[in-house]
Amino acid sequence: MSFLTIEKIKKSFNNETVLHHLNLSIKEGEFVTLLGPSGCGKSTLLRTIAGLIHPDEGTIHIDGKNVTEVKPKDRQVGMVFQSYALFPNMTVQENIEFGLKMKKLDKESIKQNVARVIELVELTGKERSYPRELSGGQQQRVALARSLVTQPKVLLLDEPLSALDAQIRKNLQKQLRSIQQELNMTTILVTHDQEEAMAVSDYIYIMNKGHIAQSGSPHEIYTRPASEFVARFIGNYNVLSRKEISNLFNDDNGYTRDIYAIRPEAFSEAPVKDGYEITGKIQKMTMLGNITRYELEVNNVCFIADHLHKIEEDSQKRETITLYLNRKDVISLT
Amino acid sequence: MKRMNGMLLISIIPFIIFVLLFLFVPLFFMLYSSFQENGGTGFTFSQYMEVFRNTYYHQAFKNSMLISFFSSLIAITLAVFAAYSITLFSKKVQDRILVFANLTANFAGIPLAFAFIVILGNSGLFTLLFKHFGWDLLNSFNLYSWSGLVLIYVYFQLPLAVMLIYPVYQGIQAQWKEAAALLGASPSQFWLKIGVPIIMPSIAGTFSILFANAMGAYASAFALTGSAYNLVTIRIGAITTGDIFARPELGSAIATLLGLTMVLALLINEWLTRRIRRDLS
Repeated sequence: MSFLTIEKIKKSFNNETVLHHLNLSIKEGEFVTLLGPSGCGKSTLLRTIAGLIHPDEGTIHIDGKNVTEVKPKDRQVGMVFQSYALFPNMTVQENIEFGLKMKKLDKESIKQNVARVIELVELTGKERSYPRELSGGQQQRVALARSLVTQPKVLLLDEPLSALDAQIRKNLQKQLRSIQQELNMTTILVTHDQEEAMAVSDYIYIMNKGHIAQSGSPHEIYTRPASEFVARFIGNYNVLSRKEISNLFNDDNGYTRDIYAIRPEAFSEAPVKDGYEITGKIQKMTMLGNITRYELEVNNVCFIADHLHKIEEDSQKRETITLYLNRKDVISLT
Repeated sequence: MKRMNGMLLISIIPFIIFVLLFLFVPLFFMLYSSFQENGGTGFTFSQYMEVFRNTYYHQAFKNSMLISFFSSLIAITLAVFAAYSITLFSKKVQDRILVFANLTANFAGIPLAFAFIVILGNSGLFTLLFKHFGWDLLNSFNLYSWSGLVLIYVYFQLPLAVMLIYPVYQGIQAQWKEAAALLGASPSQFWLKIGVPIIMPSIAGTFSILFANAMGAYASAFALTGSAYNLVTIRIGAITTGDIFARPELGSAIATLLGLTMVLALLINEWLTRRIRRDLS
């Protein structure tokens, strides 16, 4: 049963269409990510859901109610912005209770609700601090608490972690996901970071130029990219033409599509049954922490293969390497 | 690095000399002179005593402060709305309005007074025009009075206030408005709870500048009313140029007190701002 339904949403700015009749369906309690490069329309879509942008066509339903013409404040959605958008003249406590005061809740309820979310986002002791006295990560947690405290039906996150450094970002990803699961909050995240999308989402919509390029679970998206755009966008896929595939495997049987994708980690050093055996010249080897990345060349076809890093690795001295690949790991693209 | 610092120091010397010669030396001599007998014959408090005892000078300070306060208040109130309205135009229009504001802010002194005399004076263009249509402007408005002086002061204060407040609105993030709207606040609640408290220090700061600007204004008032209207700057002018006797020492004492009034206004302003914006303290 869909909790948030977006039907045929269209939006144009200055005669340029940025959302092309999009359809999305999100279940209650689901964590959905809108993933795509800059300018793909993901933030516009999120702001349309929030009511900050009015669509030219189409409808938005939240919990069975058509909210397309409803004001942002009456949609019962919470939003967290990339820039945090905390009110600088208010303390953490005042920022968080702002929404409840606007709802005219009594003092006791406000106090209890604020204390609960402050504990949830682990900011106990910071109630009297002003935003400028907090780190980026702490400010973003205040912004999250400010949205959560009003108990919205849908929580919208507009690139909330992209201004933070890598370590804090990863910690906050985990915290965000665990809070979302604890509250069973229907959440939509906008990001251009495919790793972040994979790490937190139940379902991903990949967007490109105002269209949905592909949708599915993180596993489906990663293992079965539907198009060249998705394969190139979501990871380090080897995207190869039919001619390159034929050269690589010395086999053109059954490869009738124009373009194919192979995950770098699909190549194994151990033989696989009914697979290809490829011996390639090592052009370059890079250590990426727990992964060793080989850039290889076979019959003038260049590709990359990733292996888990091994301490006794001696490939520095090797000039060639023999790898094996299962036939089903060669994915045809549209 | 040390060599670089040396070069920087050398390049800043002309600036330091300039500041010393044109700011500190006159200030020092003003202070020194204010404690001198007439003719600079010895140390005394008598100049200050005279200012404190003479009700004519009390009135000058009172008039100057009143006209500065009211013209600044009118200008800042109008500028808060005017500057916000400007931000709603396209960038191109905004730039043009600012050029115009800059121009009018600097159009003060004698030319401004004469411009007003030509337009609204006893035989001014509009005065005669209104008279022609049956409305005798002089019955309700006299350019050479307190209200005329306030009008002229507001005229040069308003564009200055607009120019100083305009950038403040650029500091109001659109996302604060969006966040407040999503949390249930109306636009007026946003301005009341967030917008105004955020811009308040800048408004207060601008008010200080306007107040100081008006306190120090001389030429516009002098050109309009001669020395008929009793203002501190007109008194200083009269004493130092010597309508009867030149008394630069007394002028220095009044000027020092004028400076102190402005410093006091600034301190009150600072204190009030910190009371309003606790996050800045």
